[in-house]
Amino acid sequence: MQFFHGTNIDFLSKRKLFYLASTALIVIGMVAFFAKGLVVGIDFAGGTEVLVRFQKDVEINNIRTSMDQSGITGAEIKTLGSDRDILIRTAEPGEGTSVSDRIKEALTKSEAGNTFEVLRIDKVGPKIGKELTTSAIYATIFSLIAILIYLAFRFEFLYALGSVVALLHDVLMTLGIVALTGALFPSMNLELNQGMVAAFLTLIGFSVNDTVVVFDRIRENIKLFKSESIFSVMNKSLNYTLNRTIITNGTVFITVLILLIFGGEVNRSFAYTFLIGIITGTYSSIYVAGAFVVDAKNYFDKKKKPAVRNAVVGKA
Amino acid sequence: MRKNRFRIILTLLFIGLSLYFLYPTYKDYQFNKDIKNLANAQDSAAFFDKYGADLLKAREDRIKLGLDLQGGMYVIMEVDIAKLLLDLAKKQDETLKQVLDAVSEQSKTSDDDFVDLFELKLKEKGLSLKAYYGEIRDEDASIKSTLKTEVENAIDRAIQVVRNRIDQYGVSEPVIQKKGSSRLVVELPGVSNIAEVRKLLQGTALLEFKLVIDPQIAVKVMEKVNTYMAGGNLDSLMKADSLGQITKVDTTKQDTSKITDTKIKKDSTSLTQKDTTKKDITKKDTSKKKNDSIKPTDSNLTGLTDSNGNPIDTNQQMSEEEFKKKNPWFYLVRPQQFQDGSLVWLVRETDKPKVLKLLEKKEIQDIIPADISFAFSNRSTFVDEGENIYQFYVLKKAPELTGGVVINARSNIDPTNNTPVVYMEMNSDGSADWARITGANINKQIAIVLDNVVYSAPVVRSKITGGSSQIEGMANIQEAKLLEIVLKAGALPAPLSIIEERTVGPSLGEDSIQKGLYSSIIALILVAIFMLVYYRFAGGVADIALAFNMVVIMGIMASFHATLTLPGIAGLILSIGMAVDSNVLIYERIREELAGGKPIKTAIEIGYKKAFSAILDGHVTSIITAIILYQFGTGPIQGFALTLLIGLIANLFTAIVMTRIVFDVMTDKGKSTINFG
Repeated sequence: MQFFHGTNIDFLSKRKLFYLASTALIVIGMVAFFAKGLVVGIDFAGGTEVLVRFQKDVEINNIRTSMDQSGITGAEIKTLGSDRDILIRTAEPGEGTSVSDRIKEALTKSEAGNTFEVLRIDKVGPKIGKELTTSAIYATIFSLIAILIYLAFRFEFLYALGSVVALLHDVLMTLGIVALTGALFPSMNLELNQGMVAAFLTLIGFSVNDTVVVFDRIRENIKLFKSESIFSVMNKSLNYTLNRTIITNGTVFITVLILLIFGGEVNRSFAYTFLIGIITGTYSSIYVAGAFVVDAKNYFDKKKKPAVRNAVVGKA
Repeated sequence: MRKNRFRIILTLLFIGLSLYFLYPTYKDYQFNKDIKNLANAQDSAAFFDKYGADLLKAREDRIKLGLDLQGGMYVIMEVDIAKLLLDLAKKQDETLKQVLDAVSEQSKTSDDDFVDLFELKLKEKGLSLKAYYGEIRDEDASIKSTLKTEVENAIDRAIQVVRNRIDQYGVSEPVIQKKGSSRLVVELPGVSNIAEVRKLLQGTALLEFKLVIDPQIAVKVMEKVNTYMAGGNLDSLMKADSLGQITKVDTTKQDTSKITDTKIKKDSTSLTQKDTTKKDITKKDTSKKKNDSIKPTDSNLTGLTDSNGNPIDTNQQMSEEEFKKKNPWFYLVRPQQFQDGSLVWLVRETDKPKVLKLLEKKEIQDIIPADISFAFSNRSTFVDEGENIYQFYVLKKAPELTGGVVINARSNIDPTNNTPVVYMEMNSDGSADWARITGANINKQIAIVLDNVVYSAPVVRSKITGGSSQIEGMANIQEAKLLEIVLKAGALPAPLSIIEERTVGPSLGEDSIQKGLYSSIIALILVAIFMLVYYRFAGGVADIALAFNMVVIMGIMASFHATLTLPGIAGLILSIGMAVDSNVLIYERIREELAGGKPIKTAIEIGYKKAFSAILDGHVTSIITAIILYQFGTGPIQGFALTLLIGLIANLFTAIVMTRIVFDVMTDKGKSTINFG
């Protein structure tokens, strides 16, 4: 069995069209991101979050009233999965753990006769949230730089740059689409938490792996087809690796999809973000990384030629 | 062929090692299953008597589950520097309080050092550090560095206090770590009583000086307990208890050995007035000599009688069982007498909870005089047959003094004889009491007790007036340092505030395990089926390699004593994704070569060779991100990065070496076709 055999798709001719499509999608996503923003989890925002499971279904409005009465203002209250699991989140970290105690007290009072079990309590101070943000940004920047250096060393600098451009594309595109989904389907409970950051960093790893496989083939084919243009070598390499691209990314896609469907609430932000990341990662190693290298090479070649001419003129 | 043999041996070695490391995890799983099936307390007591040691060992070496999978509490605490600075100040006026409040607010959003910010703020108000700290002639810079040292020392004290309490509370496998210069991370698996633990973590430490009860009196009290227990009154109580303990604290080991060790070290510390005159040094020297002359012996314990009123001989030829039956209390709390007549009580580490439980019993409490309390030493005094032995102190319940009177403590090496000493200073109120107490108890022991644990019980050598004492006789400088920390913990508590707390209830943990695990298993099975369908025989080889790969990953995790968390499972799945990718890369290449008409042996060789560079580069870049993630991430993200990292490294081996062995062996045997789908 073989999915694609001896394909000869001309991926790169239409690259300008895909540049446009990518840019448009990223712009839409970024608009969604900046206009609606992502729900920032307490990992980064700080605050208190209490997840309880009641014995019987509860009326969310009752809980809301009881929270207001106990002075826990502005709390976000929602069900998670079923009407028995209630998540209460407030921006207040509170002194010590007073907030979570108050929440529990209020729940006991308002839902008398319906006992509950505390599934999870998270309290994050504002300082910790700020530190997490800083370390997440640092982690992303350092990974990008480290990858750039390694690939520049293993390939050419332009290739390394191409894969980093592809990575930035993936991160921005995924961020945008996740923000857009979050805005359109609030019930998915997507939020920027540690899991999502982990997803972004993993998608960086996967996307670069994808790009590396294509570039590795180009590295080999350039030696084989010396007389051909970079454009044609790139196209050939993309076709040669197409089968592998589809199979690998397909299996990973299925794996993550299963995690998204069956992995529960805890894994959702991670799984969804990563799922989008796999799609954009696959797409970008073809249309962004490869295309970037082709255009950049052409650009520098064109620039070089006049320079050569000048040199000749100078000599004369 | 030789090359194959080497690779086969290498592979078998890896798998063997992995299985060896995984065995405790399997064993632990089996034990847990058995425990669930135990019908009653009697059964379980017998079970633990039989398997206790194995069970503990297995639990020690198994792959541990993170808090998100088994439930528990994760807490980050920070030293409340503002409060500490307030406590340290000479005068605590409104201005200082206002400044500290302002700085606290500011430091929430600033990365600058708290003390630096504090100094700036004071300057804004036209004040200097000098106004509140240090002497007039001190430089501001030196005051500042002293304050910074105080902040750093505070976290050490906090760790000591927290560890001390958690040990007493009896949480199994707690993690207590210092993080940065002012933070403390505490992980408590399986803890459910959140409020209680919180109080435990945040309460102020209580330092007390308590008189050690005279041996003659102590012996009488202990005999009473022994006689009562030998009457069989508490048999049922003890049995029922042992079950409770087993499931909670893992203290099940039943040692049948007798303490006959002569290495036992008596607490040889002594307490003298701090003075630097020649006269006092000679005084110290004599006390030292006296210490040296104390030689532990195995002599019979004079004056001790068993439940029948006969003298007890710890070395008599009574069988272990018989001794245990006749003297149940002395079996747990063993008396040991020294030539100079002093007496110590010794308890095995595993018996500690049992002893504490017994002492809580109303029946026992009724026997014990109301003015007596008990406490254990902070660490084991010696090790007997692989088990830590703790000293058990019989103390006067009412403390002679509490730690509030201590204003400073400092450990040092005494230059005159190169031994570690701790200097302790008390305020004027305390000094007066101290002089009276020490004067009345010369040659008796006064225990230094922090949160009901004895850190030292020096013998009073002389009446100490003026409030400056020196404690000597510690084995090494570390011990002296610890004593300094303990004394200061009482004098200057390190106020802690919880800045992050995560609690996972046990049922959410179970939920997560099931969802995380089930989805992983479904995904794995699907991927395996796909490989088999797409690559046929070669796909099967890849699947087997994947299975081994997982064994190797788990084996490495077990050998590192790594913890498996939910993000860790995600990391595992992703590394499996990378492993599949490696196989796909190789197989696609081999297919290309086969399509080009190459014979199978050559095609395999070229396929592996050409795929290698892509696999290597892909893995190295992912390894780079995993390392960075591990470096910058916290808790859960680190778990993810670690499993991913281990998985990637294991992949490089299994994908490139392991599958190839199969193909090479087949082609070497002359097979001309292998089904690559």
